[in-house]
Order: sequence, then structure tokens, then C-alpha cells
Amino acid sequence: MTSFDLGAPFTRRQALRAGAGGALGLYGLGSLAGCTVSRPIDTPEGGVTAKAGIDGDLLIYNWAQYMDPALKKEFSEKYGVEVNEVNFDNLEAMVTKLQAGGRYDLIWPTPEYAARLNNLGLLARYDRSELKNAKGISPFYDTTWWDPQSEFSVPYTYYTTGIAWRDDEVQGMTGSWNDLTNPDGEGRMFILDDFQEAIGEANLINGFNLNTTDPNELEISKETLLGQLEFARGISTNSTQNLVNGTAAIHQAWNGDIVNVRNQVDNPEVFQYETCEEGVPVGTDLMCIPVTARSPGTALKFIDWIIQPDNAARNVNWNGYPQPVDGGQEAFAELVKTAPSIDVDLEQLGEGGLEYRLEDPDDRRLWTNVWTEVKAS
Amino acid sequence: MSARGFWSRFLLPGGVWLALLFVVPLCLLLALSFGYTDDLGRAVYAFDFDNYKDAFDPLYIPVLLRSIGFAVATAAICLLLGYPIAYYIARYGGKRKHLLIALLVIPFFVNYLVRTYAWVALLADDGLVNSGLESLGLTESGIQLINTPYAVIGGLVYGYLVFMILPIYASLERMDPSIVEAGKDLFATPFRTFLHVTLPQTKQGILAGCVLVFLPAVGDFVSAQLLGGPDTYMIGNLIQDQFFTANNWPFGSALTVVMMIFLSFWMIGYLRSSAREARQSVPA
Repeated sequence: MTSFDLGAPFTRRQALRAGAGGALGLYGLGSLAGCTVSRPIDTPEGGVTAKAGIDGDLLIYNWAQYMDPALKKEFSEKYGVEVNEVNFDNLEAMVTKLQAGGRYDLIWPTPEYAARLNNLGLLARYDRSELKNAKGISPFYDTTWWDPQSEFSVPYTYYTTGIAWRDDEVQGMTGSWNDLTNPDGEGRMFILDDFQEAIGEANLINGFNLNTTDPNELEISKETLLGQLEFARGISTNSTQNLVNGTAAIHQAWNGDIVNVRNQVDNPEVFQYETCEEGVPVGTDLMCIPVTARSPGTALKFIDWIIQPDNAARNVNWNGYPQPVDGGQEAFAELVKTAPSIDVDLEQLGEGGLEYRLEDPDDRRLWTNVWTEVKAS
Repeated sequence: MSARGFWSRFLLPGGVWLALLFVVPLCLLLALSFGYTDDLGRAVYAFDFDNYKDAFDPLYIPVLLRSIGFAVATAAICLLLGYPIAYYIARYGGKRKHLLIALLVIPFFVNYLVRTYAWVALLADDGLVNSGLESLGLTESGIQLINTPYAVIGGLVYGYLVFMILPIYASLERMDPSIVEAGKDLFATPFRTFLHVTLPQTKQGILAGCVLVFLPAVGDFVSAQLLGGPDTYMIGNLIQDQFFTANNWPFGSALTVVMMIFLSFWMIGYLRSSAREARQSVPA
């Protein structure tokens, strides 16, 4: 419970979504542009199949502050290899580095990015039976849209999107996405500054498919969002700060952020979180091995090490995010036992558990254009 | 070897540095602005004007006008706040002049993003400003400061004020104090002396300050992102979203190029006016 208790000002999700890499700023854009065009990587014919076994030192490419350092240290001592880590602060940068020929043994993409990397032929295959602890992985991930055969990804953490609110100021929450416009929150409601979460919530309110690409439906959802913004205080991914410093009464939020809020205030019981009946977006960070890995065997061993139940439990206690594996889920439930609504059981979500999926760049463009129109008007 | 030849040699490292790290990326940005993103979301160089057509979508006009409005307001407020500060330091700073200037500049060594985060904590509903007002009995409950256009302009003023003060201070320093004395000798009131003597003498400093504040403020995205509400979206936010959210670098590049051309007009206007000024001040 080291860094977790400090209530870090940024959670990794916020850093991602806020594009805090935005510190790069407009001044940096010139140099960024230089990196976009990548040279083709020599991807081995027929791809790479990893076999668990120590085959060299490990270089992992992860979000900062996202893994208990003790796990790396102990792995290193147990197997006699070095475990080195470098960090990225947005996924686009990670893809860019991989495409430019950067050689890492283990990366942490989201499903949409994993699908994209897989389409580029950049992810190594392996047999799940190589992982001793694979049986502990939540059945929610048995047949995923991005990896139906479970052959190149293992879930690391997951999070749900719902609504956070202050129980001392807002009454009559009903467990629906319409609670965003609960009258008690007028002028103090925030929508996440994330085009998928914002449009997704509106799609669910209107009864559309979460990932609809029908322009007419998106037009209706745009109107829904514009109506909500009349009522809102702002668009922001800083849900933790907005709730802690009293600016927000109602906030569309990721469940992990509420854990942070409750750690930072004197009256944690006031801060509540609900998932919504129209649908619960579930996000996942995955562990994948690039085909360019120098030590794919060690990487596979390391994945097995991370999802080992006792290690998963320690990691959850360290970074505060639930891991969808045996050990990790129990540890998270214990961590948030005073606010059970934060602990979302993936198996119980059933049909209600939804995932964002916009693979075609044209569909993505359609969505980002809607979001730009909402923000610009 | 002539002195000029001697010094030109020292231009080389800086020139190469600028060419490699500024001019080349700028050319890449320009090239990319004619490109598109392929099916895998990668930016591809090409030659078509689609991005530029999109950039002139009427949808973005309110965003541009808002950015200009915020930047003009920022420059005006910076001028009103900055001139008296510069004037005081230049005229009455005495031995402490350099100390006072250092005190102004040192806070600006802290990253702008970090300083703006501090404002989030200050202006929040339960933040320092609101709790201060309440404990003084001035307000009953928290008033909305953050997530408003005023907070965004406030953040911009805070971010760029020093760029107004320094050029005005420099022009006041350059001014010959005896002409103010002359104004007084001719029985002008202090106000009229200021209006007819000091102000015209520092016009170039004011102009330089306004340009130095206006240009970065128009393109700023930090203030609107952290302090803004639903109706404060600026052109900088639009461009940033193209790069980091929409993953549409070619369109982001096109917007950047359009923005740079637009801002260059202001810059050229400023340079021409200061050149004219310089010519006029040469005694005939």
C-alpha cells in the first residue's frame, strides 16, 4: 500500500485521457510530426510464437507507476535476469516507437490498440497452456472481440465507467445514465473529456448500440450531449480533483478514480459510485508481447508471474486497480469493502458489460467529428 | 579576417541546430498537412487539400473567434496590470530594480501546466479563494469561479503577464527621464505628461508586449482545458484533440499551418509598424 495511499494527483487513466502528454504542447508538435511515418519492420514470416522459458533479460514498456516494483525485483532474483522498465505516457507514442523498430518484450495496450497492432502483424502468439496461472483469468476474457482465440493477450487491469456523486448533496439516484442530469446536480455535473465515454453514455441513454456508427443515431446522441452540457459545469477527465475540491456534485467517472477520491477526503462515505442499467462500459489494459521482443520466453514467464494470485493481490494493493484474475479480484473487493458499488464483478455484468470497439479509422473519425462538434458549439 | 567573417563562424552551430530541430520538423508538419491517415490509423504523406477544406469548416469559426476574443481580453488585462508594475519598477525601483524583476520572472520558471493546476485548487468551489471569501463573510456559499470563461482568461493573464511587463519595462528604461521633466516644466499635469510624453515613448514596448501575449494566448490549450467549462473550447484545444484524441495528425497539422499563417499576418503587421516607427524617429 505504498504509492496508492499517497493519493497520487494523477491516476494513469487521467494521464492517458487528458493527453497530459499535452505538456508536449503545441510547441512540440513540429518535432512530433517528424515521427509519424514509420519504416516497415521486418516482421518474421508466419509471425512469432513464444514459448515460456528464460531466454534473456527483460525490457518492459509500461505506464509509469503502474506495477509494484517489488514484483520486478523478485522476478529478477528468482530467474536471474534483469527486469528493466521504460514508460510511455500515451498509447500513440507507444505504437510510434514500436513501428519505428523499438524492441520491447512486453507492452500494455488497450483492446483497440491491441487489435491495431495485431493487424499490423506486431504481436507474438503463444499457447495459453504455457501459462500456469491462466485458469485464474476471468471467463469474461475467454472469447474477446480482439483476441477470440486468446492467443496474444492477457488482461492486466480493468475498470468500469459509471456515475460518481456526492450523497450529501444529491438525492434520488436511480442507477440510470439519466442520473447525470439529476436536478440536484445542476451546474455541478461533469462529463468525461473522452470522446468514446461521452458519446457512449449518450448512445446508451438513447437505447442505441454502444458502438453505433449510424450517422442518424449519432446525430441524436449529439443532441443528447448538447442538452447535458447545458446542464453541466464542464468536460473533464480530472474527476478525482473535481470531486475532492467540491466543484463536482455528479461526475461521469471510472471506478478506480473513486477509490482515489475516497482516499483523499475526510468523509469518504459521502462519495458514491453506480454503474448504469442501460449498460456498463468495461475498459481493459492488456499485456502483449511484440514480435520484435528480444526475450519473448522471459516475457511469457513474466506474464505468468504477474497473474499468479498472490502477486496479483499485492499489485492491486499497490496501484489500486482491479486485476481480472484470481487473487486480484479478491484483493480489490477487500480494498473497497466500505463502498462495494466500486467493485464491479465482471461475471455478474453478463450482457450489461460492454466494450468500446471502433476499429475502422473512418468510424473513429465519425465519432471524433461528433465530439468536436459538441465541444465547438 | 574581418570581424564579420569571424563572427559568422559562430553562427554555424546555432544555425544548424535551428535548421535541424526547427525548420525540418516545420517542413514535415507542412508536408503532413497534405496527407491522410490510412486504414491502420497511420499518417501517410500525400498531396491533397482535403484537410485544408475541413479546416475552413464553418463549425470552427466560433472556436477561432472565441480564441481571438480571449487573447484580446488577455492582452488588454495584461496591459492594464503590467504597465503600472513596469512603470513603478522602472521609475521607483532604485537599487531594488533587479531584485523586483527577478521576483517577477522566477515564478515563470515553473512549468505553466503546473502553475495552472495550482489555479484549479485555488478556484475550486471548496478552494482557497472561495473559503477565504466565505470566512470573511463576503459570500454565503461558494461562487462559481472555475469552469468559466473568466477563469480561462484569468489563467491566460497569469500565464503570460510577464511577457507584457518586460518589454514595457525595457522601453521605460530606455526613455530619457529629462523629457518627463520637460513636460513638467511646461506645466503639464502628471496625467497629461504621461499621456503626451511617456505613453508615446513607450508605444513600441506596449506593442511588443501585446504581440508577445496575444500570440501564445490565441494558441493556448492548457488554460481552457484545466479551467474552462463547456463553452470555452479554444483553437489550441481543437488542434490538441486532433493529435491526441482523434489520432488525425494530418488534419491537426493543417490546422496548425492555417493558424501559423493567420498569426504571421499579425506578426508582419507588428514588424511593419515598428519599422515605420523607427524610420519616423530618425531626425530628418
